[in-house]
Amino acid sequence: MKHRERVLQAKMDRILEAEEQGTYSKKKRNRVVMRFMNNRLSLVGLVVFAIILLMSIGAPLFTHYDPLKISLKEVLQSPSGKHIFGTDKLGRDVFARVLYGGRISILVGFGSALGAAFIGVVLGTLGGYKGGVFDKCVMRLSEVFMSFPQIILVLLLVSMVGQSMGNLIMIFILTGWGGIYRMTRSKMLSIKQEEYVQALKAFDVNPWLICFKHMLPNALGPILVNITLSTAMFILQEASLSFLGLGVPLQIATWGNVLNAANDLQVLKSYWWLWLPVGIVISLFVLSINFIGDGLRDSSDPSQMG
Amino acid sequence: MVSYIIRRLLTLIPMLLIMTFLIFLGLEMTPGDAVSFLAGPEAMANMTQEQLAALRESMGLNDSFLVRYFRWLGNMCKGDFGYSLTSGVPIKTIIAERLPATLELSLAALLISTILGTILGLLSAMKRDQPVDRILTVAGMVGVSIPEFFFGLVFLLVFSINLGWFPVGGRLRPEYTVYWDHMKNLFLPSIVLGLSMTAGVMRYTRSSMLDTINKDYVKTARSKGLPEWRINLLHGFRVALAPVVVLVGFRLPMLIGGSVVIEQIFQWPGIGNEFLQAVRSQNYPLVMMIALLSVFMVLLASFLIDIITALLDPRVQLD
Amino acid sequence: MQDEVLVSVKNLKTFFYQSGRCNKAVNGVSFDIKKGKTLCVVGESGCGKSVTASSILQLLPQQARIEKGSEIVYHKDGKDIHIENLERNGKEMRSLRGGDIAMIFQDPMTSLNPVYTIGWQIGEMLQYHSDLTKKERRAKEIELLQAMGIPLAEQRIDEYPFEFSGGMRQRAMIAMAMSCNPKVLIADEPTTALDVTIQAQVFDLILKLKHDYHMSIMLITHDMGVVAELADEVVVMYMGNVVEKGTLDDVFRNPLHPYTRALLKSIPVLGKGREQNLQPIRGVTPDSLHRPPGCQFGPRCDFFKKGVCDGGLPAEKWVSETHMVSCFNHEES
Repeated sequence: MKHRERVLQAKMDRILEAEEQGTYSKKKRNRVVMRFMNNRLSLVGLVVFAIILLMSIGAPLFTHYDPLKISLKEVLQSPSGKHIFGTDKLGRDVFARVLYGGRISILVGFGSALGAAFIGVVLGTLGGYKGGVFDKCVMRLSEVFMSFPQIILVLLLVSMVGQSMGNLIMIFILTGWGGIYRMTRSKMLSIKQEEYVQALKAFDVNPWLICFKHMLPNALGPILVNITLSTAMFILQEASLSFLGLGVPLQIATWGNVLNAANDLQVLKSYWWLWLPVGIVISLFVLSINFIGDGLRDSSDPSQMG
Repeated sequence: MVSYIIRRLLTLIPMLLIMTFLIFLGLEMTPGDAVSFLAGPEAMANMTQEQLAALRESMGLNDSFLVRYFRWLGNMCKGDFGYSLTSGVPIKTIIAERLPATLELSLAALLISTILGTILGLLSAMKRDQPVDRILTVAGMVGVSIPEFFFGLVFLLVFSINLGWFPVGGRLRPEYTVYWDHMKNLFLPSIVLGLSMTAGVMRYTRSSMLDTINKDYVKTARSKGLPEWRINLLHGFRVALAPVVVLVGFRLPMLIGGSVVIEQIFQWPGIGNEFLQAVRSQNYPLVMMIALLSVFMVLLASFLIDIITALLDPRVQLD
Repeated sequence: MQDEVLVSVKNLKTFFYQSGRCNKAVNGVSFDIKKGKTLCVVGESGCGKSVTASSILQLLPQQARIEKGSEIVYHKDGKDIHIENLERNGKEMRSLRGGDIAMIFQDPMTSLNPVYTIGWQIGEMLQYHSDLTKKERRAKEIELLQAMGIPLAEQRIDEYPFEFSGGMRQRAMIAMAMSCNPKVLIADEPTTALDVTIQAQVFDLILKLKHDYHMSIMLITHDMGVVAELADEVVVMYMGNVVEKGTLDDVFRNPLHPYTRALLKSIPVLGKGREQNLQPIRGVTPDSLHRPPGCQFGPRCDFFKKGVCDGGLPAEKWVSETHMVSCFNHEES
């Protein structure tokens, strides 16, 4: 306590001196960019995110192995110069599976986030602006969807329609639009009170224009943040589902599917390279997305002090 | 307060009805003969086609949709949930056997995460921008980023398999005599299940607390000559808690859903595990019933959370 | 007969430190709060009057500091307590807060804790500054509300702030502040957030406090009308300094500082009719981080003299025993 006090006093004295002598910093900086730059975590997040993304997209550049190629002669080899992450039970190169798997996982995650955002934003904007029966119905509908634990609803639907990548994205969108719908709707409700909207209405401007050209851009900040964080959420969900064997069909390499091997206690104990690297990659990727999302939120939030 | 409770209950009931309706719809849409899960497998095995047709008639399976729906609803209220497609065991029995384990796990996770989360969040806010705060903030972000099951796998490996501090999965062992004996089985899974909730609660408590500390009434409290601890706890923390409780309410479905995966990893004999098997074997009656049950749990828990929020912040009762 | 001085503030400097800059919110303010008298501190928003009030009870945020050389002395039972030397939230300071010097704030809606009943909040005060039992506290709470003119006090005790009306909330705040018989009441713009009709009620209450309890009151306001109603003495502040101070008569009948004069000319006076010539003060209040050199009012002053008024801050000049002005123009006369 005492030490902290003294440090604080000393800092104040320094600032006072600088003020009296006119040596304080006079530069005017662009607040938003500066804050983002200063947020080291966001920067680190951005870098890690870019690395993983680029390596996945450009997978052929980083590995010459085919993620699906079975090679029964090279089963369960531990990491070596030849196979950076070793091989799995069917002799497939794990590193290649992680790289190519990334493509699918990220695609599913981002695609679902975009789809859910699209539906959520459209419904939220219309509902928030128009109100009435339409809004109440959609609100009820979202409550219904959100009362289910998401994974249970997803699994329920999977059991009904079967596993495929397309199905999975559809199901994710169907179960995930609720959150962004709510957020958009509440933003719209508050923007609706603003005077410029009243003015537009008074001038009898087309409601569609009012909604999408004038009101929506003001809500874009949080929407983008939401898409970012939703992507992370969907990637985690896909991983969980595939880990259970109920996500993307096991033939296709995804991060979750690779982790599926860890279902076996034996693998857990003895063949760590089959699941540990993948898990770390997923964690790093999602972590970096969260850092970026956080940074976006911090720098676009006007209530924060610079 | 009482009127608030009644109002909340009244909004709950239509929701429950809608849910049952949807589940019934789902049951109707899935393949499978309704007789088999309504009558039980032994009955099925011993019947001819005519007898089955007659049975269908007598069970009213040829009646209209709505009639069947209400009959099904009525049956449920009497405790008849139908039969499992694969094993023929009455679903009621399955649920009765397995629900307590899941409840135990979920409650433990909820308790740990809210208590730990709020305390850490409070600490983080009080020591803002100091090393403790920064570490906790990053830890929080890591907590929401690592897939829960991965975390579970690592913990299982390190603490159960390698270090041997905890049993490797399962819930009860023959040698357990008292209830508390299996606490060491409960420990790991509940920590893992509560992980993401803990991180979320911690972050939200921190930001809620920082918000509250700057409020005018805190300054008023200080001007009354009250000690700092009282100001922070009774005027700051207490008010900051209400939004956090609301957040917990929002995240409850995730906690209940998370048990599906966690029970798998730790071989915990609960409803989640059962659900997974049912999905894998397309045991629709069981799938639907457990889904309905989970929704019911979510709605009930939300209701309780609303009451707690109203107790913490009386302004809530206004709406 | 000299009035007994309860609180003497000498050369108070409170600086705010943020983003590497130092904001001299209060830059050398002196005045006395006398027993049974009402001192009104008046000035524009941002002139530092609220900070001055908060400094007296050391209710400042972490990044603010009462600078060396400032003196805040509370005279109690013949002893001089140097508030500026007390530990910010230490035992002595806390005992003074509420027990000797109480404070009420601008917006009673946000200044009262929304989740506790009014009775509970008043009771807190009694718990820490008196030895009453729970029952006695409750009786006292009801008594206080009644004294402040709140009807149905026994019922109101168990209600929450949001169930009160604006005027009643402020009365409840005042009741809370008065609960432990403080010698000094600091009121920071107590009526700014209220309707005009309610304002009148609260002022009547404050007048009653003055007459019935012989309270020493320090009233912060930006409203000259309020000053005319309630003040015995007036302190006029601008940009962290006192530009003029004196009795109500001194300042209103014989304003010496150009700022005081401009202030008085810019407000309508009830009764003077429609033909009043209102003149706004030209220019804008400077940013506290980009101050003009010398006298802070210089750029907006009709009597600005280059070379004199931008050289440094003017000294205090006592025109009479009670009347002080801080202006280069008056140093000559």
